[in-house]
Amino acid sequence: MIRICHMYPDLLNLYGDCGNITAFVKRCQWRSISVSVQEVSLNDRVNLREQDFIFFGGGSDRELKLIAADLTKRKEELIEAINDGLVILAICGGYQLLGHYYLARDGEKIYGLGLMDFYTQAGSRRLVGDVVIEMSIDGLPVKVAGFENHSGYTYLGSCQPLGQVLSGNGNNGKDGLEGACYRNVFCSYLHGPLLPKNARLTDHLIKLAMKKSGDNSQLRPLETELEDQACQVVLDRLGFKKITR
Amino acid sequence: MKLRLSTAIAAGKAAYWLSRFRGYQGSSLPGKVARRLYSGTLRDLAKQVRKGIIVISGTNGKTTTSNMVTEVLMDAGYRVIANREGANMIAGVTASFLLNAALRGSINCDYAILEVDEASMPLVMAEVTPVVIVLTNFFRDQLDRYWELDKIIAVIRDAIKKSKESSLILNADDPLVAQFRISTGLRSLFFGLSRQELSTSASSQTRESKFCPVCGTLLTYDYFHYGQLGNYRCPGCSFKRPRPQLESVELTYVPGGTNCRITYGQQAFDLAIPTQGVYNVYNALAAFLTGLHLGINPQSILSSLGRHQSVAGRMELFNYQGKPVYLCLVKNPTGFNQGITTLCAAAKTKDVLIVINDNEADGRDISWLWDVDFETLSADHRPYPCFICSGQRGEEMALRLKYAGIPIDKISVNQDIKAAINTALAGHADSAFLFSSYTALWQVHKLLKQLTAKGDPR
Repeated sequence: MIRICHMYPDLLNLYGDCGNITAFVKRCQWRSISVSVQEVSLNDRVNLREQDFIFFGGGSDRELKLIAADLTKRKEELIEAINDGLVILAICGGYQLLGHYYLARDGEKIYGLGLMDFYTQAGSRRLVGDVVIEMSIDGLPVKVAGFENHSGYTYLGSCQPLGQVLSGNGNNGKDGLEGACYRNVFCSYLHGPLLPKNARLTDHLIKLAMKKSGDNSQLRPLETELEDQACQVVLDRLGFKKITR
Repeated sequence: MKLRLSTAIAAGKAAYWLSRFRGYQGSSLPGKVARRLYSGTLRDLAKQVRKGIIVISGTNGKTTTSNMVTEVLMDAGYRVIANREGANMIAGVTASFLLNAALRGSINCDYAILEVDEASMPLVMAEVTPVVIVLTNFFRDQLDRYWELDKIIAVIRDAIKKSKESSLILNADDPLVAQFRISTGLRSLFFGLSRQELSTSASSQTRESKFCPVCGTLLTYDYFHYGQLGNYRCPGCSFKRPRPQLESVELTYVPGGTNCRITYGQQAFDLAIPTQGVYNVYNALAAFLTGLHLGINPQSILSSLGRHQSVAGRMELFNYQGKPVYLCLVKNPTGFNQGITTLCAAAKTKDVLIVINDNEADGRDISWLWDVDFETLSADHRPYPCFICSGQRGEEMALRLKYAGIPIDKISVNQDIKAAINTALAGHADSAFLFSSYTALWQVHKLLKQLTAKGDPR
């Protein structure tokens, strides 16, 4: 059984990001992998070490501040879990929370968890639009499509990006990088939501979460025709031929 | 000054006729042209409105409420200017004035009713001074344009706060709207719905903030109508649902319409509107209270609202060879969920067509489709023989249905809108429901009109 935590769904619920949970859960269930989904909010008791996959969505500044305070109390637990192979997907605001800090327009600094080496600062221009990136999944280059909408510009330190921007802005519109990666933690600015139409990435996360849960069996392949078609609509529009090379 | 205004009006009108001639709807172009020539065009024209300007904003129900208010005032014998649907930004508002202006720069009207896009409120409020501002509700909508809901609400608040002469007409049931009395300090009147049979103790669809807009504490609810609309109060401060001056206390759905008992102080009225859905009751209440506030006779308002015909694509009914066909515009999760509620309530079997575009006016970010409760349809999908998806993002829509648990053999994508509509109409189900995003609506509407007769088949 894969144990899933949806972190702060009442606060981090912008832009249909809950579709990521839907996609992850469905692709497990279609393979008869049992899952449990627990929603965790401020002050809720949960042992993050026992989880296999946790998800953070996007939110507005006010909510991020509340969450930063709550998450700080769970930091040690989270570090242990990540070292133990916990799979995390964090989108937009959730992504920013895992870095050092977010520097707002008015100069206020909201401290993140500092789990990963990057920082974010509010930019002058909001970065909005379709995005295609290329990332590596099991050593193979795969194109991933989504929609970005953020005014925070993120700059990576020593951690790896999720992928290279082929079209769109990504982390900051300048360095050609999108998202961040560390162990089994995946961060991205891509809404859309990200997982449903990028089934290879979803399956990759499921595989890692299975392993964390102690299940080392092979992942049964599933039909991805509709998923690929939906992804291809964005690729076509931005001039890319195929999801895989 | 006068000359510049006249020139701007002439140029705007010329742009209108030229764009009409070339087959465009041309709803905002005349305004753009005029404003470029003379930036005071709207200000100068709006000043001439004799009795007052009514601004209507909010997420859902702007167009229907504006039309209702316009009908109420026209039936009461007033000369009215109103902006056309889809022309609710500053250029469109300017266009609606200049198209009604004489070339010498004068307009002849008692009231102007302006539907204003949320993000355009600051610009419009800087140039016109309304006597009444109506706020319908706030839901998440087109986030690529409107950013987060909190921010757009703050922008609207700042825009109307300075308008000290305006009265607000507010939805008491939406905490995000009701807070405007406190946050603006303006004179406020409220409309609302008391507890109904269909009210629930928990809202599955609330994705908006459930926190007190004043102090940030989690709100407690006695009941919900839909979304965050209901009877709320804050355990942390004195913020709670205000007592509405105008309240619908009893709702009955009848074929093709809705009856409601309304109280207004000591008075009670029976309102019958020929449209369905609780959201239309809210629109009618907003228009009713606006009319009363402007001194219109209640009986006259009742008969105007009783004759109201729904706007294109607001659960508009067509007849295809004896089969009822409904067309519903979808713009955001709340509106789509309301449409799905109506779909579920319809008798027997129904074929479904969903057309989703992602142009600027639809919202380029379509992730909101994943916030719509399509899962309701898969719990028992027997009444739905097929789901046809079309539009620029038809594939994403199909994918959404797959992940909502609809069997994949019931889902198809057809990029040819005409063919897709034909398939939906020719289906064997007892009725057909067509959902369309904004920029596809006119095309779907036009095709439907060619293929069907208007009105109730029974």
